[in-house]
Amino acid sequence: MKEITAIIRRDKLPETKKALDELGYSSLTIQSVDGRGKQKGAMCAEMDSEMPGSFCTTVKLKPTPSAYALEHTLPKVALYVPKRMLTLIVPDDVVSKLVKSIVKVNQSGKRGDGKIFVSPVEGAVRVRTGEMDGEAIS
Amino acid sequence: MKMIRAFIRPEKEQEVVLALEGAGFPSLTKMPVFGRGKQKGLQVGPVHYDELPKTLIMTVVDTEDVEKVVSIIHDKAKTGFIGDGKIFVSPVDAAYTVRTGEAVL
Repeated sequence: MKEITAIIRRDKLPETKKALDELGYSSLTIQSVDGRGKQKGAMCAEMDSEMPGSFCTTVKLKPTPSAYALEHTLPKVALYVPKRMLTLIVPDDVVSKLVKSIVKVNQSGKRGDGKIFVSPVEGAVRVRTGEMDGEAIS
Repeated sequence: MKMIRAFIRPEKEQEVVLALEGAGFPSLTKMPVFGRGKQKGLQVGPVHYDELPKTLIMTVVDTEDVEKVVSIIHDKAKTGFIGDGKIFVSPVDAAYTVRTGEAVL
């Protein structure tokens, strides 16, 4: 069993769910999270289309909020970008298929498309029936 | 690769994030959570708080960086009182970047 943790754009959630549905693995947990990556959060141009691209592509964290506020117009930057986190527990053999389909749906080619992590899971129990491991996730 | 999940005090979040960024680990995911530990919550006079707000910081790093990241979080989130939180480290088989589809962190 593997756990697939996908952190994706908020507006791609319905399409991702549909794609997973079509493959027959529709059970998942969704969480609202805030995240940031190598760019340290803010992506002005993507958040506000009227923003000139040269204004700030990367906004670094400043140690004091006041210094930060003076340097940037606060409503137009974000230290964290809101994302959706999906968690699926699936059998080993379908992991690559699911990862491929999530990547295909979410790929826009711009920064902030998200990350997918695959990690091992040792056991699972279906609470209603008490079924263990393989049967619990089928 | 390892996934590091740190449950820390919400007020320590910015300090931890700044320290991680300074050390070259800017990427993370955070979410607000509620939890309790060994002390079964918190008793303040007659009021008992069963679940206390914490911030969960989740980050995936290369195996050789785990010790460094854990020590940074430990150093910055520590106050010495109960409720400082916990740090968990778990294995990650693969990480994919959606933009490129490549299996690199």
